[in-house]
Amino acid sequence: MIQHFPVLAVMGMFLGAFLIEIFGSKNAAVRNAISFITFTVVAGLVYALVKPIIIDGGVIAYWMGNWEPVAGYAIGIGYEVDALGLVFAIIAITAFWISNLYSFGYMKGEHHLGHYYTLFMMLCGSILGFCMTGDLFNMYIMVEIMTFSAVALTGFITEKDGALEAALKYLVLCSLGSGFILTGIALIYLQCHTLNIAQLASMLSGGLTPTTLLAFALTVAGFGVKSFMVPFHTPLADAHAVAPSPISMVLSGVVTKAGVYGMIRCIYIMFRAMDLTQMQIIITAFGAVTMFVGVSMALAQHDFKRLLAFHSISQVGYIITAAGLGTALGLTGGIFHAMNHMLFKGLLFLAAGAVLHQTGGVTNLDKLGGLSKRMPHTTVCFLFGAAAISGLPPFNGFASKWLIYQAAYTKAAETGNFYYLIITITALVVSVMTLASFVKIAQAVFFGQLSEENKDVKEAPAIMLVPMYILAALCLLTGIFYRPIAADFILPAVRSAVDVVKYIDVMMGEGYAAAAGVYNMAVSNVMVSSWSPIVYLILFVTVFIAAFIVILGSKSDRGATVEVDPKNAMKHSNFFSGEEAVYSHVGGSDMLWGYKYDFKPYYRVMEELHSGRVTDYCNMVVIATAIIVVFMFMFMR
Amino acid sequence: MTILRYLFYILVFPGALFTIAVGLFMAGIDRKVIAHMQKRVGPPLRQPMYDFFKLLGKETIIPAKANRAAFLAAPVLSFVSLCFIMLFIPIFGFTAINGAADMIVILYLVTIPGAALIIGGASSGSPFASIGISREMVTMMAYELPFVLVLLTVAKKVGGDQLVFNLSLVSDYQAVNGSLLSHWSMIPAALAMLLVIPAEVGTQPFDVAEAENEICEGPLVEYSGSPLALFKLSINMKMIIMTGLFTSMFLGGIRTGFVALDALLFVIICIAVMLVSITTIHAVTARLKIEHLFKFYWTVVAGLALVSTILVWIGM
Amino acid sequence: MFKKLIDKSAAKSPWLFHLNTGSCNGCDIEIVACLTPRYDAERFGFKLAGSPRHADILVVSGPITVQSRDRLIRTIEQTPDPKCVVSIGSCPKSGNVFKGSYGIDGPLDKYVHVDVSVAGCTPKPEAIMEGLYKAALILEKKREAMHK
Repeated sequence: MIQHFPVLAVMGMFLGAFLIEIFGSKNAAVRNAISFITFTVVAGLVYALVKPIIIDGGVIAYWMGNWEPVAGYAIGIGYEVDALGLVFAIIAITAFWISNLYSFGYMKGEHHLGHYYTLFMMLCGSILGFCMTGDLFNMYIMVEIMTFSAVALTGFITEKDGALEAALKYLVLCSLGSGFILTGIALIYLQCHTLNIAQLASMLSGGLTPTTLLAFALTVAGFGVKSFMVPFHTPLADAHAVAPSPISMVLSGVVTKAGVYGMIRCIYIMFRAMDLTQMQIIITAFGAVTMFVGVSMALAQHDFKRLLAFHSISQVGYIITAAGLGTALGLTGGIFHAMNHMLFKGLLFLAAGAVLHQTGGVTNLDKLGGLSKRMPHTTVCFLFGAAAISGLPPFNGFASKWLIYQAAYTKAAETGNFYYLIITITALVVSVMTLASFVKIAQAVFFGQLSEENKDVKEAPAIMLVPMYILAALCLLTGIFYRPIAADFILPAVRSAVDVVKYIDVMMGEGYAAAAGVYNMAVSNVMVSSWSPIVYLILFVTVFIAAFIVILGSKSDRGATVEVDPKNAMKHSNFFSGEEAVYSHVGGSDMLWGYKYDFKPYYRVMEELHSGRVTDYCNMVVIATAIIVVFMFMFMR
Repeated sequence: MTILRYLFYILVFPGALFTIAVGLFMAGIDRKVIAHMQKRVGPPLRQPMYDFFKLLGKETIIPAKANRAAFLAAPVLSFVSLCFIMLFIPIFGFTAINGAADMIVILYLVTIPGAALIIGGASSGSPFASIGISREMVTMMAYELPFVLVLLTVAKKVGGDQLVFNLSLVSDYQAVNGSLLSHWSMIPAALAMLLVIPAEVGTQPFDVAEAENEICEGPLVEYSGSPLALFKLSINMKMIIMTGLFTSMFLGGIRTGFVALDALLFVIICIAVMLVSITTIHAVTARLKIEHLFKFYWTVVAGLALVSTILVWIGM
Repeated sequence: MFKKLIDKSAAKSPWLFHLNTGSCNGCDIEIVACLTPRYDAERFGFKLAGSPRHADILVVSGPITVQSRDRLIRTIEQTPDPKCVVSIGSCPKSGNVFKGSYGIDGPLDKYVHVDVSVAGCTPKPEAIMEGLYKAALILEKKREAMHK
């Protein structure tokens, strides 16, 4: 029974989309009920797979229509769910469930909500299908459904300035990526006459012919476009600025991960090229460039959601770098960071959405300010997310970044290659630049002075606050209990990414892999580091309590804390060199000036590259793909 | 029993009390030495202690526009995190908490007082504070790069084939092989670290974030009373912590066998380091502008540290 | 717990905030001269603070011009207790040569209780330091009075 769950989950999602289109266009209650029930049921199905796959370490193989392989050749579409795919599916369904809850409050009052939920569920279904399928062409189909749903959802609020333009850019650039993937698949089929990933893994492990090498380069580049590495990152920034916030959360939290999952599946399982040094070098190079370009572009933005989009790109860079290191520790850090990124980036986008929703559409960092007095809950949630993304202990960002640093410097020490030391340094410096960026947002949006227009802003409704608090709590808990999560949840995914023999055998029959001459690479045991966050938390709390007692106690020894006295307003107004305090908020563009001044030449170049023209962006995509192809042909023959 | 021992470590030695006492003492020495450099008498050595207690006695005015919770919590956060960091720094063979990768944890923990200052400034609602926190953040970005390079250099030098981040192992290595400063390839890194220390502590020429006259004390402009006392105390505690880090990384070869004697020697060497890196530079320079500060750290200081990294990496 | 230490510290560590209410800068130069090595006010713990919130002693110079009057009052209000106001020079005390002018508005004690007044035009740095020292002792008394 349990082997039907993956297909049921995907089909259930599509069925829900269909039902909403039929029944839910007019009535909000019916629509919300259908979507909530669908998401909960599908989430239940996906989480039910945790026990057999992650805890017991099994792999579920399912042939659609019962078309079993004939004479050792796969002829049907196979769904194969191993721990790697399941972890990404769980990331996806959790994000979508929370985003769905948030959508109920956020999208209230918009038009054509029936279409919104339909597209939303199709997006979810396609990502679930993508993560759980074992057939290459099925992956392509799911990626296409995902792209088109995402494009439509990006441009959903058509009245918004730039929405349709962003949707167009997304469409054009991702279609380019899909074209690369399709070409790669066609070439593989030409060479191997099969589309099943397990069988391909056994066929391609012998060596790479020029055809398969070209296919490899194209599929990696295509999935790279989907994961929005640099220089494929350009549509993501525009898309995030105009998409509705629950969609932004999902775009950055899940859709980018789908691309990363595709890359991992191709490189680790299908082509099994992860132990080649050249492969590691090029993937980590792309990852490092992505990290740095993402965060430096983010520091120059003055739109709240665009800035968060560039941070998404930067964090995806972390994941790709970690996965590209080729060690088990690296992949653990990468997948863990993927999960954490969904949590904290989702939280940040939901907070940005709350601000946008309550202020009536203002996202310009120069026009907001002082909102912590009017929206305290949103501020607290935002600060949790900001601390997590900057990598401050004891949040989850620190735990996964910690693993990534460890993987990077261990790799540097093992290979003695100075290049990996540069990667480590880049990762550490990008982390502090991330902190700088969130200080800028915190000051520009939540602290500082409240402007006249925003004087009456109210706190976000409870239906929007609940998902934020859920994510904030998860951020803290996954940070504190990171060791059981990394050991019991992420590590099985890593093991399954390396255990190709099992992957092939479960799908094609026992002993198939051995007959084809496939064996597993030896991978060192992953030692999860000994940093123990619970000790820190306890110590922090102890000293906090002691400090508070000392400060607040013994009132007679010190001056009293004077409450705001309405008769003596002068005393409690800000010091302005004696002037009366007028509105002079230091907004987003005024922050971090010294850094921006010193980096002016760099930003001039970046501004040229981010021209806004689709043709320029297509150029970048094609050039980068050409670089990947040429690199592979030069170094991997 | 272990809990009592850890409480002693946290609250007395080498945690809160030790750091506070030595930090205030070092700040006093700093002011006295600068005064004598300027051919005057200067305040008594106990002056920072008087400053602290005087501030405890002032009334705390919280501006109406300020975010009360963050305003009062920021100094406590800064103080608490600083009490912790000292627990990781080996005092010539005695380390309170021994972890696998201390140096990276210290890197992050040292970021927290800066972040607390930023939160405090942001919550005041004053534009002077906002400019101050912007400069503080750029300063933090500036010195992180050379700091990271120095840490990686020390890790590689001590570890050889693998990178060793455990500070007590660094200290033990120096007990056997002589202090790291005596290896000539580490001298640029030591210079870089000496230049990172004043930026962390916030003294001239790198104190643009807290420029007294220019932006009215920057992030601390609205603070008064006991929160201000805690912030000023944090600045003084940072003196011993940063010089202590330098001493344990570069000058850590001394072992006398008695913890008390080790601690005394440690403090004396830290004072010497402070006189070189904080006091002398403080006394003879003016304040750098923020863009010059950032450029200085990412070119000159990072360059020095990178020289050491490359030298150590190729095996010298 | 540290009552006596806190009270004693109020006199040992007085921080100054300088307010110029239209002065000719003569007194200001002498105030800065106090902090130079020749007279060295820092040995008593005096230090110039950047914000009135950090200050204990407000050092006021200049006749109170009409334009600076409101700013003066606001800044003094923003200083936390216990505080002392010291007027330097004859201008805040009597108006000096500017008395009767349309641009100035009265002696300093029309607006705030002046604790120490250092007369002179300009007073010598030694006189300023003696005045500040007396203000520091008054601070200690005010701090003790705060206990009640």
